Amino acid sequence: MIGSILKQIGIFALYILVQVLILNNILFFGYINPYLYVLFLITLPSNISRTSLLLIGFAMGLIIDIFSGTPGYNAFASVLVTYAAPLLQKMFGPREDHDIMIIPSFKSYRIGMFIQYALVLVIIHHFSFFIIEYGSLSHIGSILLKTGLSSLFTMLLIIVVETFKSKR
Amino acid sequence: MKALLRFFIHFRVFFLFLALEIISLILIVKHNQFQRSAFLNSSNAVMGKIYETSNNVYEYFGLKRDNLSLAHENTELKQKLYTLETELNFLKQDTSYQGRKEMAIDKKYTFITAKVINATTNKLKNFITLDKGRLDGIKEEMGVINEHGIVGIVSSVSDHFSVVLPIINPSSRISAKVKDKNQTGSVIWEGADERIALLEEVPLYIPVHVGDTVVSSGYSSIFPEGIDIGKVKVLRKENDNYFYIEIELLANFNKLSYVDVIDFKNAEEEKGLEEETRKGAEK
Repeated sequence: MIGSILKQIGIFALYILVQVLILNNILFFGYINPYLYVLFLITLPSNISRTSLLLIGFAMGLIIDIFSGTPGYNAFASVLVTYAAPLLQKMFGPREDHDIMIIPSFKSYRIGMFIQYALVLVIIHHFSFFIIEYGSLSHIGSILLKTGLSSLFTMLLIIVVETFKSKR
Repeated sequence: MKALLRFFIHFRVFFLFLALEIISLILIVKHNQFQRSAFLNSSNAVMGKIYETSNNVYEYFGLKRDNLSLAHENTELKQKLYTLETELNFLKQDTSYQGRKEMAIDKKYTFITAKVINATTNKLKNFITLDKGRLDGIKEEMGVINEHGIVGIVSSVSDHFSVVLPIINPSSRISAKVKDKNQTGSVIWEGADERIALLEEVPLYIPVHVGDTVVSSGYSSIFPEGIDIGKVKVLRKENDNYFYIEIELLANFNKLSYVDVIDFKNAEEEKGLEEETRKGAEK
């Protein structure tokens, strides 16, 4: 039990470092900034209580915010994601065995369902993030473009990481 | 009372969600208001250290490019030195030379070289972190340039690190003019492209052409006069009085490695005097 918690904390730190040191420096056409750390939040085991899930999301978002100099931006979007994730898991996840612990993945959800599940949450995260970044809806064109392109790129990364995880 | 408590416990997830979102929003709004404050930004000592370490690794990948740009700058400086020496030799024959020499020695500006350890260009509110801070003589509101032109203005300082508000941040506003013309305007950035900024407040009667260089005006105590900012790229009438001018920024924000922070020796004296005059005028 303690071993698995320590492992999760290690993965938590790894996602933050990858996000802050590598992904935040990526720049494609001035519009794409992938946020892979969302994957950590949406693949936490289903037996975690919803309140702890929200707190984990808030903590992760806030740490990334502190590194990126954008206090509140990622925290807001992450809390939204961790609030919505359990609701979406009921819609996209396997129907049977509600009491068994499930970790969302290609295997447990089947590939198509997992991609849809991740896509909805990634779009929720990116859309809210870019609305906050622009501060209003008056640049809705840029917001939608950034959301679309960044979501595409984040999803590509998520598929790569999940494929790697399922092969292991 | 019991019912109320039960209500809160029943909907605890939702209320926690609401509370966390409100905290986030407060942080966001505060950040917008006090962008200059060092609160939660990367001049924070721990973050600075981590960025510095990661930058040490990244730096190796840019060595070739940096060497090339240094060599280029070297050549340019040699050329300048040669021109100045020739001029000096010529002036030495002039009898009034001694007086002028004293003026030249009065160094108004000194430069502090700093390394860029973190920079964003793909955000709306971009920031740059430098590896020098208060202990190295950097203060808030100092100008930052590199070999190509103006980069930005120091916005917050900690003991060992400082954060720069670059031209490519909507809060940035730099007093500028078209080279050799006297009318001043402001360089601002609207957030679309990290290479393009706007020059505002230039009236139509000023003869501006595409390709003209835009330089600092020297009206503020932050930058000396005549430091390059960009080149006029798009020029058209905005309304009956003013031009709409797009300028291509000369400092390449994607490839910043070393910058110079300008220390204007008399900045405080100048500011103090201006403040006093303003107060006197209000009385």
